[in-house]
Amino acid sequence: MAGQNNEQLIEHWKDEPAPLLPLLHAFHDRDGHLSEDALRAVSAALRIPLADLYGTVTFYHHFARFPPGMSAPRVCTGPVCRLVGGTELLEAMRKDGATPMACAGRCDEPIPVLTDHAVSVGATVEALQERPSPLPVANPGGLPECVFRSIRKEGRAGIAGYQKSGGYRALRSALSSGFPAAVIETVERSELAGRGGAGFPTGRKWRAVANEERGPKSVVCNADEGEPGCFKDRVLMDHDPHAVIEGMILAAYAVGASRGFIYLRYEYPQTAVILQRAIDEATEAGLLGDDILGGGLDFRIYVRRGAGAYICGEEGSLLNSLEGKHPFPRERPPYPVSHGFEDLPTVVNNVETLASVPPIIDRGGDWYRKLGLGDHAGTKVISLSGDIQRPGNYEVPIGFPLPTLLNEWAGGAPEGRTIQAVTMAGISGGFLAGDDLETTLDESSVRARGSMLGAGGIMVFDDSRDMVDVAHSCMEFFAHESCGKCFPCRIGTQRLTERLAEADDVGAAGPGDRADWAREVEDIGEVMKATSACGLGMAAPLITESLMRYWPDRVAEHVASRAS
Amino acid sequence: MSERHIEIDGQSVPYEEGETLLEAAGRTDAEIPTLCYDPRLEPFGGCRLCVVEIEGSHNPVASCARKCEDGMVVRTATDALEQHRKTLVEMVCSENRQVDVDPLSGFASQELAVLADRYDARTQRFVGRRSGQSRVDDDDNPFILRDYDQCISCYRCVRVCAEQEGDYAISVKGRGFDTQITVEFDGKLNESACTFCGQCVATCPTGALADRKALRHVDTPGPIEKTRTICPYCGVGCSVDLLTKGDSLVGVQPAMDGPANKGALCIKGQYAYDFVQHGDRLTTPLLRGDDGELHPASWDEALDVAAAGFLKARDEHGRHSIYAIASGRAPHEAAYTTQRFIRAGFWTNHVDNCSRA
Ligand SMILES: Cc1cc2nc3c(=O)[nH]c(=O)nc-3n(C[C@H](O)[C@H](O)[C@H](O)COP(=O)(O)O)c2cc1C
Ligand code: SF4
Ligand code: SF4
Ligand code: SF4
Ligand code: FES
Repeated sequence: MAGQNNEQLIEHWKDEPAPLLPLLHAFHDRDGHLSEDALRAVSAALRIPLADLYGTVTFYHHFARFPPGMSAPRVCTGPVCRLVGGTELLEAMRKDGATPMACAGRCDEPIPVLTDHAVSVGATVEALQERPSPLPVANPGGLPECVFRSIRKEGRAGIAGYQKSGGYRALRSALSSGFPAAVIETVERSELAGRGGAGFPTGRKWRAVANEERGPKSVVCNADEGEPGCFKDRVLMDHDPHAVIEGMILAAYAVGASRGFIYLRYEYPQTAVILQRAIDEATEAGLLGDDILGGGLDFRIYVRRGAGAYICGEEGSLLNSLEGKHPFPRERPPYPVSHGFEDLPTVVNNVETLASVPPIIDRGGDWYRKLGLGDHAGTKVISLSGDIQRPGNYEVPIGFPLPTLLNEWAGGAPEGRTIQAVTMAGISGGFLAGDDLETTLDESSVRARGSMLGAGGIMVFDDSRDMVDVAHSCMEFFAHESCGKCFPCRIGTQRLTERLAEADDVGAAGPGDRADWAREVEDIGEVMKATSACGLGMAAPLITESLMRYWPDRVAEHVASRAS
Repeated sequence: MSERHIEIDGQSVPYEEGETLLEAAGRTDAEIPTLCYDPRLEPFGGCRLCVVEIEGSHNPVASCARKCEDGMVVRTATDALEQHRKTLVEMVCSENRQVDVDPLSGFASQELAVLADRYDARTQRFVGRRSGQSRVDDDDNPFILRDYDQCISCYRCVRVCAEQEGDYAISVKGRGFDTQITVEFDGKLNESACTFCGQCVATCPTGALADRKALRHVDTPGPIEKTRTICPYCGVGCSVDLLTKGDSLVGVQPAMDGPANKGALCIKGQYAYDFVQHGDRLTTPLLRGDDGELHPASWDEALDVAAAGFLKARDEHGRHSIYAIASGRAPHEAAYTTQRFIRAGFWTNHVDNCSRA
């Protein structure tokens, strides 16, 4: 877009679906930041009040308002990157204008540094290198997989390689059968549940959208993957983009949708290129566009990049963001199935959920259901990172024992260390430690331990780590990412961060008396869990809750150090 | 179909399709606290004080946003809910410089203080950083004081400006605890799209947005009295409450139940009242003498001269040569009398008012 003037950029985007984000990105890419002139032009072109537009732009971490803007490095200081020197790398790069960013989803090979449109990874300035996402290793237990089944095949990311290894077979057979309802039935039978964190049954969601009469309907692929410690969607999109696209087309066919969006987090610029290439290939091959494969389905997919806001992974916030509104979560009900994109019926599904669909349609619902252990259905990709020998993505049967994954598949803690704790659901499930590490990986078992499996990010902390410090960095993340809509979370995440800060930290506040400290932290946690307007605020206090449960002595010491 | 009901604290309450739990509860004895709620605006669900328990639902729900469904069983004041509310009010108090503000600040300005009393929340718990920042050089407008240290991010001002006034002048900058109410590019209000209707001031529950004109009278002695009247400036006919202390007019607040305006006003009705007790105001008739200057005169002298002038004009040029314009700043009674005087006195319809918007 370089060299294009305001009018050309506006002309290109203003009549496209969901135009605000791509138009802002067009200006941001051209100028490196969003100038006052750019915002005035966008405001006039899209008829968005200037004050609203200004406020909304400032919501997104990565939209720079002033030079050097995009070209200044952003260094990940997330919980995993801090273990290997994220803070030090940031300091070393300060002279280049570097600023911190929250977990950028490269925890399997830290530390990511984002500059312009490229992410480099490496633990020191010298080691920084632009690299593609690592492929998942062959399944260490030799167990059957669903989404990783073909991902390691040669050329899988291109349409030829994808089709050679069975790709688009499911779509062809579904379209030629002529029964969209059959797709829904198979997905229901598979017992596939949302892999984005909430675990809602996918078949039931699709049926609800199919039953809605209003249209046009949309299918939104949630590729925001902002949860610290989660990087599974990235590897799926990077190495098997057509699986995600095929899953979206199948969803569109099942529910009668004509518009598809992939809402991709800003921190995955290389993925944006891969996805667009795959969409272009699929369009070229007649798999997207009008009358797909002669089956009467019209469906197009648009990639929309976020701009740095974890909350935009929450579906209501995501939809507001797509629509160009301030990205606060929406009050529910109504749900997106009836009132989604532009208030019309919408499927919102996670990348992994959608990528599971083609193999399910291909091999049948029973096949997928039986991949789970015991009563559990299907598989889950776990992103494993931190103090572990072999970090990476592992597809496990649901119900798989955590100790087997940690110690046998991933090699356990680094030499000479033991595993002290893990996080669950990225960090949204808080910590598990001690005997609770014996859990199996399924919601019922993990929830029985006061946590949740969620999107399947697990960070490992060995016995050398100070868990109060880890908890502080997790809570800092929630405070940084709280959207500010509701009181319990907006104030609560801030107060909890202040209470977890070390005594000499400028950000420290709160009682120095242990009982008072605990009561404040518990009261805040209770009110956040019970009354927050979305999952962020409900999940954040699991950090403090589990910290106090597993490490009461360390907490006492922490509070005592503040009393003086 | 039979009438639909929900049960609120054991009482069966009929409701209309689309009504929220909070609206239905308004017809019972339940006293559900709110801070981000303004009945004129779309439900927002920010403060979470209005949460209630619904049988069969795991977490409490925001009653301001949740619609009634037939057969719902709702509890509005369980111990757990009241505990959550107390904690929330304590938390909100902790982000502000002070809880108590002068009632002249604005119509809703006492809401936080009232809840702090109700929940015994002046406990000084949850101390920490305060939220919100004001511009130090923000003194350019005489109407609206922006004291964002007092802001609790309820977004009522933002929403009233957009939904009620249609100005979209203010918005939300940043996120989380760093949220800041602002205008485009953090500018000044008088350089923004603001029309100074004062709606944001009227809905602000903390005095963060305050009526700078009224606050000039903080030290004027006496209790504040409210007198309901109608704004004289135009044909909309907005209801207002004039605030007085003793003989002094100290401010104007919109009447939320005004049939024409439902709490809305424009800058004229809201702020243009200084003339009433302005030092330059005439206290006696003035007559222009042969020297060309104005001289004080008695009412009889002045009326005689005016009457002679009117009659001369009518006799020389006919009754339609007379045209009267009543001032929007005159009382309604004077506007009415003017109209009678011209129509009945001169038999002409040449009469108007200066603000016939
Ligand atoms: C704070 C928050 C962040 C979320 N982030 C994501 C995300 O990055 N990706 C995702 O797929 N779902 C995310 N979700 C869950 C979505 O709201 C939604 O449930 C999901 O996209 C539905 O798809 P699924 O049923 O396929 O999981 C998030 C939820 C919350 C509360
Ligand atoms: S819980 Fe947090 S992130 Fe969610 S709506 Fe409330 S403030 Fe926003
Ligand atoms: S200024 Fe007042 S009305 Fe506006 S958000 Fe702050 S407290 Fe609410
Ligand atoms: S002048 Fe303004 S406040 Fe007065 S009646 Fe008209 S619209 Fe209402
Ligand atoms: S009144 Fe319902 S959340 Fe504020």
